[in-house]
Amino acid sequence: MWAYVVRRCLVGVALIMALTLITFALFFASPVDPARFACGKNCSAEQRDVTRAALGYDKPFVVQWAGYLKGLAVGRDFPLDAEQRAAAPDQVTHCAAPCLGYSHLDSKTVNEMVADALPITASLAIVALVMWLIGGVLFGILAAIHQGSLIDRGVVGGTLVIYAFPSFAIAVFLLQYVAVKWGIVPLPRYTEIADGGLWAWFSNLLLPALTLALLYLAGYVRMTRAFVLESLSEDYIRTAKAKGLKSRTVVFKHALRAALTPLVTMTGLDFASLLGGAIITERVFTYHGLGMLTVDANNSSDLAVLVGIVLLAGMIVIIANIVVDVLYAYIDPRVKVA
Amino acid sequence: MTVSEVLIQGSGPEVDPEPRIKKIAGRSPMRIAMDRLLSDKIAMLCAVIVLLYILIAIFAPQLCRLFGVEVRAGDPVTDTDSFNYPIIGPPNYGFTWEAPLGLEPNSGNDLLAEWFYGARTSLMVAAIATIVSTVVGVVLGLIAGYSRGWGDRVVTFVIDLFLTLPFLLVAIAVSPMLVERWKENPAMLDNASLIALIVILTVFGWMGLARLIRGEVVSLREREFIEAAHVLGTPTHRILFKELLPNLVAPIVVSFSLSLPATIAAEATLAYLGVGVTGQPSWGQTILRAQNWFAEYPLFLYAPIVGIVVLVFALNLLGDAIRDAFDPKSFR
Repeated sequence: MWAYVVRRCLVGVALIMALTLITFALFFASPVDPARFACGKNCSAEQRDVTRAALGYDKPFVVQWAGYLKGLAVGRDFPLDAEQRAAAPDQVTHCAAPCLGYSHLDSKTVNEMVADALPITASLAIVALVMWLIGGVLFGILAAIHQGSLIDRGVVGGTLVIYAFPSFAIAVFLLQYVAVKWGIVPLPRYTEIADGGLWAWFSNLLLPALTLALLYLAGYVRMTRAFVLESLSEDYIRTAKAKGLKSRTVVFKHALRAALTPLVTMTGLDFASLLGGAIITERVFTYHGLGMLTVDANNSSDLAVLVGIVLLAGMIVIIANIVVDVLYAYIDPRVKVA
Repeated sequence: MTVSEVLIQGSGPEVDPEPRIKKIAGRSPMRIAMDRLLSDKIAMLCAVIVLLYILIAIFAPQLCRLFGVEVRAGDPVTDTDSFNYPIIGPPNYGFTWEAPLGLEPNSGNDLLAEWFYGARTSLMVAAIATIVSTVVGVVLGLIAGYSRGWGDRVVTFVIDLFLTLPFLLVAIAVSPMLVERWKENPAMLDNASLIALIVILTVFGWMGLARLIRGEVVSLREREFIEAAHVLGTPTHRILFKELLPNLVAPIVVSFSLSLPATIAAEATLAYLGVGVTGQPSWGQTILRAQNWFAEYPLFLYAPIVGIVVLVFALNLLGDAIRDAFDPKSFR
């Protein structure tokens, strides 16, 4: 078991290194001069050279990459140029490990920017996750129990229709109708729990989270339905029924178990990819989470931020993958990892 | 034959005086799946809808002429008033045959023509991207599955790597760079954004199929017919493409039919984010522009959304039907 975990972690580290290499290659091989963008609009040639040295863009590609990996592992100090650090020691910014980079445009480390945005994205992801899990499992079971009936067709067809809508369409409709036209909920604006309490936090998250939940709902309904249906025809279900167990117990305790393993896998990976930023939803509802941060960074060509976010999102997925695989062994006693 | 006999037996081929023995043998799995699909009414309805879209896409110029509209012919000066509202059609005036879906505010472009050509862009981009990523996925999956050891390990690693890359993030970050780079080549100037979009959709579209094919090949390569081919000295490329590939038709077709609607939705999403085809009509771009006008001019937004939703829905149902048709365990 432990050998397996260690091996998975080693592959994970290799994946993260490859990920940094690819993102670096992509962004710094681009025809635009990163220093020009990092320096801003009104930038003289000397200023640009200073910026280039401060961010290490004058070094060869491999050196930059190694420096970035070092920052990830132990942290680094900006500006990267030792002479500049010595000249103005009060302006040195320390970026603690895991250092994702430094945004010259905002004069902040990417870590700080991420730390501001992540709680918003995480709240969104958590509320959406709860919604789609409850909805998906309940509707999936409902459809499975009434297989072939009108309810089944209605549930499966309905989720397929929702699934056919592009996510921005759902978000725009919810915003324009539920919030603007009908005024059922106030215009969503992110409120921290510390500021407005739990209810304000939740009610403001309702629409954006619902958008995300609807997006994922179809997949969960269909998977729950498929696995519950499969297990409902198994012998042990017949035994449970013959024992005289309540049908509720049979469905929720016995049949649902079969759907648990794939559900955990899917939930883990979907949640992880959501943490990387729900770009569309955040954009429509102007939530300043990681997705918005990406859009903004892209508009201002802030390469350092883009690299940092892509890496962060990738790392979350890699870690979630490992966690899910290890969880497998605990949920499903048949799985033996060698 | 008496009346009661007809009632019991029914008329038609059943009362054939020489009952023929039903043919059982000689149907390939492909044929069986095809027959099952053809008898599926919902699937056929969806196929008709998809066909309709394809026809619209192909004959967009002719359709525009039929309705008397012109694509990208709007003039902001003559077609919109001083508040940038269109001078005919919604939102300020009633329906007119001059522009059945109205004109676009600001630019004065005809929205019906925009819709027809949008179908063209959407289908073309999705079809090319899906075909290319299917080819890439199949080839890499075959290589990974058939080569034990390092080849397998490298391809699996690359698959995992691409699966960890966040699609939308990378897409909106990379596409300006691709466009920037290709703009310098005058031959690609017009199509730079189009090609960049197809490249992005392809790069993120092949992993699922590659994984699937790899898994299938890993189990197929242990079978006797592959061993026999190996012993006979069949060259590897022949084993891969003549022996293995025909056995993989089902997963490839299913994967293709399910990833096509996903690609169409992804294309629209990217267009909404400002990544994608510029200078040509596209549903996603129309939606992006229509959003700010939604309160006064909902039709502007509804037309492209209906276009996408109906197409994606029909393709999804069709894909499901194809999957069920290939699945011997399912009954429809």
